[in-house]
Amino acid sequence: MLTYLLFSPFIGILLLFFINKEKLSLIKWIGVGTSLISFVISLALYFQFDAANTQMQFVQQVQWISALDISYYVGVDGLSILLIVLTTFLTPIALIGSWDSITVRLKEYVMFMLLLEVGMLGVFLSVDLFLFYVFWEAMLIPMYFIIGIWGGKEKIYAATKFFIYTMAGSLLMLIAILWLGYYASTLPDGMFTTNLQKLYAIAPSIPMNIQLWLFLAFALSFAIKVPLFPLHTWLPDAHVQAPTAGSVILAGVLLKMGTYGLLRFCLPLFPDASLQCASYISTLAVIGIVYGALVAMVQTDIKKLVAYSSVSHLGFVVLGIFSMTEEGIQGGIIQMINHGLSTGALFLLVGMIYDRRHTREISAYGGIAKQVPLFATFFLIVTFSSIGLPGLNGFVGEFLILFGSFQSRILGNYIYAIIAASGVIFAAVYMLWMYQRVFFGKLTNPENQSLTDLTKREIGVLIPLIIFIVWLGVYPKPFLNLSAETTKQLVKKIEQVKSGNVTLGQ
Amino acid sequence: MFLQLFDIIFYFFATVTLISAGIVVFSKNIVRSAFSLVFTFFGIAGLYVLLNADFVAVAQLFVYVGGILVLLLFAVMLTQKISNLQMKITTLHPIIAIILVASLIGVLCGIVRMNDWRIITISEIPQSTAQSIGKALITTHILPFEIISVILLVAIIGAAMLARKSEKKS
Amino acid sequence: MEFFSKADLIGTLPLLVVFGCSLLLLLLDALFKDAKKLVFSVGIIGMLTAIGCSLYTFPLSATAFSDMVLVGGYASFFNILFLTIGIIVFLLSYSYLEKQHYHLKEFYTLIVISISGMMLMASSADLIIIFLGIEIMSVCFYVLAGYKRIKVEGNEAALKYFLLGAFATGFLLYGIALIYGTMGTTNLIRISQNFDAFSHPLYLAGWGLLLIGFSFKIAAVPFHMWAPDVYEGSLTTVTALMSTGGKAAAFSSFILAFSIPLSMHNEKLMMVIAILSAASMLIGNVFGLAQKNIKRMLAYSSIAHAGYMLVGLASGTKLGMDGIIFYLISYSLTNLGAFGIISIFEKENGGNLSYEDYAGLGSRKPILAALLSLCMFSLVGIPPFAGFIGKYYLFASAVQSNLTWLAIIGVMTSLVSTYYYLRIVVYMYFRESQQSELIFVPSLALASVVLVSIGIFIFGIFPSLILNVIQNLL
Repeated sequence: MLTYLLFSPFIGILLLFFINKEKLSLIKWIGVGTSLISFVISLALYFQFDAANTQMQFVQQVQWISALDISYYVGVDGLSILLIVLTTFLTPIALIGSWDSITVRLKEYVMFMLLLEVGMLGVFLSVDLFLFYVFWEAMLIPMYFIIGIWGGKEKIYAATKFFIYTMAGSLLMLIAILWLGYYASTLPDGMFTTNLQKLYAIAPSIPMNIQLWLFLAFALSFAIKVPLFPLHTWLPDAHVQAPTAGSVILAGVLLKMGTYGLLRFCLPLFPDASLQCASYISTLAVIGIVYGALVAMVQTDIKKLVAYSSVSHLGFVVLGIFSMTEEGIQGGIIQMINHGLSTGALFLLVGMIYDRRHTREISAYGGIAKQVPLFATFFLIVTFSSIGLPGLNGFVGEFLILFGSFQSRILGNYIYAIIAASGVIFAAVYMLWMYQRVFFGKLTNPENQSLTDLTKREIGVLIPLIIFIVWLGVYPKPFLNLSAETTKQLVKKIEQVKSGNVTLGQ
Repeated sequence: MFLQLFDIIFYFFATVTLISAGIVVFSKNIVRSAFSLVFTFFGIAGLYVLLNADFVAVAQLFVYVGGILVLLLFAVMLTQKISNLQMKITTLHPIIAIILVASLIGVLCGIVRMNDWRIITISEIPQSTAQSIGKALITTHILPFEIISVILLVAIIGAAMLARKSEKKS
Repeated sequence: MEFFSKADLIGTLPLLVVFGCSLLLLLLDALFKDAKKLVFSVGIIGMLTAIGCSLYTFPLSATAFSDMVLVGGYASFFNILFLTIGIIVFLLSYSYLEKQHYHLKEFYTLIVISISGMMLMASSADLIIIFLGIEIMSVCFYVLAGYKRIKVEGNEAALKYFLLGAFATGFLLYGIALIYGTMGTTNLIRISQNFDAFSHPLYLAGWGLLLIGFSFKIAAVPFHMWAPDVYEGSLTTVTALMSTGGKAAAFSSFILAFSIPLSMHNEKLMMVIAILSAASMLIGNVFGLAQKNIKRMLAYSSIAHAGYMLVGLASGTKLGMDGIIFYLISYSLTNLGAFGIISIFEKENGGNLSYEDYAGLGSRKPILAALLSLCMFSLVGIPPFAGFIGKYYLFASAVQSNLTWLAIIGVMTSLVSTYYYLRIVVYMYFRESQQSELIFVPSLALASVVLVSIGIFIFGIFPSLILNVIQNLL
């Protein structure tokens, strides 16, 4: 079943190969149709998922390279199920959202988007480090092209920076993966392996000093992806230059791969090292929260503002994960979804207005609320969600994270939570200020008088997002339940390591 | 007494070889270079004889001195105005070259010193090697022997290509 | 008295077929006045027959001609690789030579003979055969490098290659002589049985000199100086042959020479190889950044890739050897693809070779541009292309033999290389073209390029197909 899910976008890619590039609407429909098929499959997955089971589910394993014990090994557990649904949910939305804004090389565009979906799903599904790495890297190529071909003015710079930054991190991760495999082969009757399940059992016994290096190699790669302060500089460039759909996917899913990686690999593989580094990484996360918010405040470009707000929001996620409490980690997972929804929606909205006016400068707007009331309403809801207003999704995640970090014994200090909380206030400031400058006041710019409100298609794109934003805010329990057991398991494991109950070394 | 004579002969041939080789490289006159090459080949042939490699020594004289060198001299003589030609023999990076060559020689000399040489005393008068070489060439070494012909073939093709008049665009 | 048996002849059938084919080509060339097509097709048929023979000898495992050459397995495997490379170079060359007005028939003969040299190198069980194989291949390459006789660069390439090559051959011979001196034999199998002499300084010096000779042939730093000029000055399809077949052949005999008799555990020599490897990766990739001509860029990239493959040799493990062999296949396919596409784009006077000329190719020639990007991504080592699996194997072998530092240098330099490989992609897709000249795409060349790209893709996704074969070779 997971294999069907993973490779369902390929149907579309294959179909597109045989279709004339002139048939624009057919191409679009194939793209949307295929991604909807994936979505349906992932929904089926979602309903069959057994939240009480902490093991990998729907597992499928096929030998791939037997000499190095590499296998095609996929599975889902509480950590990944929501992210998978998020991925398949956002892809069709991004495709529909960019319905009219992509005018050149449409066929390739749709193909790259579908390819990207395969890559993202692969990252979340892999239970083999090698497989994970393959998808992790392979996904760079479509994103690189999406930014590079359909991006804005500085697209080449942004695309190259994105590619090289990500490569830099992941190559060191490759060495760490190799070292893990090699370590497995040095154990009595062990062999070289990248099987994650086997490594979960083996890796925590690695001596501390080496564990620290491996942890850093993994963490660096993920921190670049998240992006954690001070490794975030690629993000504003990539976000601003990417086309709308690219930004949606980038913010909605790609960034989550970093935090997911931290959760899936760093914590369980290297619990000792994670414990030791928790306070440093949390410090960086908190700096990121405040710094992202402050920089967002002074942006004049709406898209850039949203991009910096991502740095801030993802800081929350990392803080939650490294608080290593159940609440914190659960909050982190929920916040990943929240951020995917609300920032995705924000980018879509920015894209919509950009399509009309071809500028993203805040100063070019002002007082357009009367002109485009629907647009303004949607924007307001999403803004509130991003700020974390109670009743909307953002609140749940941020609350859990702050709660988790507040009571975390591993961080052992309230300061993290207190400073992070200030980030919430800053968020309110920059988002509302931006909203006010764009929508309220007098309609000064004559060009804005001809602005048209949202079309039916655009409303159709936004409605599902809004539904989930509200649903998650009002009744998050079913979503939290999915990851509850897995998180408990993870936290228990770390607690054990902390209290020294696990015998280290074999 | 016998050994001393052997040593003297060895050093004689070695000196001849080295000095003439030096002239080949450093002389600015191509004719002089070509002629001193005769002595180099000759000295090497002498060394072969001292090593009991009679067949190789004769082959050296036949092929190099008798064949290649004569051809070379013919080529030099028949080429117009070549005898007055000053050749460029400057070195581009003398310091680097000296360092590299010196270190290579140093390493090789060091190894020669480090090595524990087995000294074999020859009791009987050595036999001619021509027979055993001939036998080896058509039994155990028949494949290399045949392959060499392919190399010669390629060399001929290459030479023919060099010598051919440059074809105008065909 | 029998000097050799029927089994010897059957075992070396592929080699004999190729030798025969080259002679036939030479004869046809002489007999018929305008036999381009004939020579071309007979050459291809000959090589296909040789591939068939190699498949036939594959299950054998023996030596032939008094332990001079290996038969079957390893040798047959590499024979197939070289012959495939040969066929692809043939296909690429036909239209390319026409375009460049260098359509001489010895070209094909020389390629076939050089392939016979490569085959000898991969099947050598004796240092003499290694030497002869290298010589056959190199002499062909010297001639082929100078094929552009009217052009200054052509002459420069040939002369430089010849002089430096002869110099390297000197080292090689000196090394063989020293090894013979200590061992009393040039046969690799017999050498490997004589464990007592392994620590002999003279013996090690012999291997050291041999190492220099090989390093020259694979263009490893610091013996790489010839590569950029020769790659640039030669005809593009010849460069393709040199950078793939030449390198693969050198590595195939490098592995044979260094893994059979050295019992793989001479720390000092391994360290030297590791240093050579690190230097090649660093210098190749850093200089690659500065290139403006694509052929030169690929020359530096080939230096860097020699460094990557040396990683496997330095590790001295089975995993490393398997890695090199896989890497050779993926690298050969990738480079054939890249040079093939370059040869299609190249103008008749040798223009169209700078990055700027590739601007906007993504919209002008979408298929070729896509294939070239695929090659570039494979060279960077991004999954799911074959280049990645090769690098994974090599770096895994390095980590396994406590050479993690080498693996780290490897990945760091890969990162550097990303920049210049991607630059082509950037020009092709993200920039608009200034020229709208029509490019003629010959179908033979296109077919071979497509075939090669499919190979890169398949071996990237299902590496086990070939890895299972490789594992049982050594």
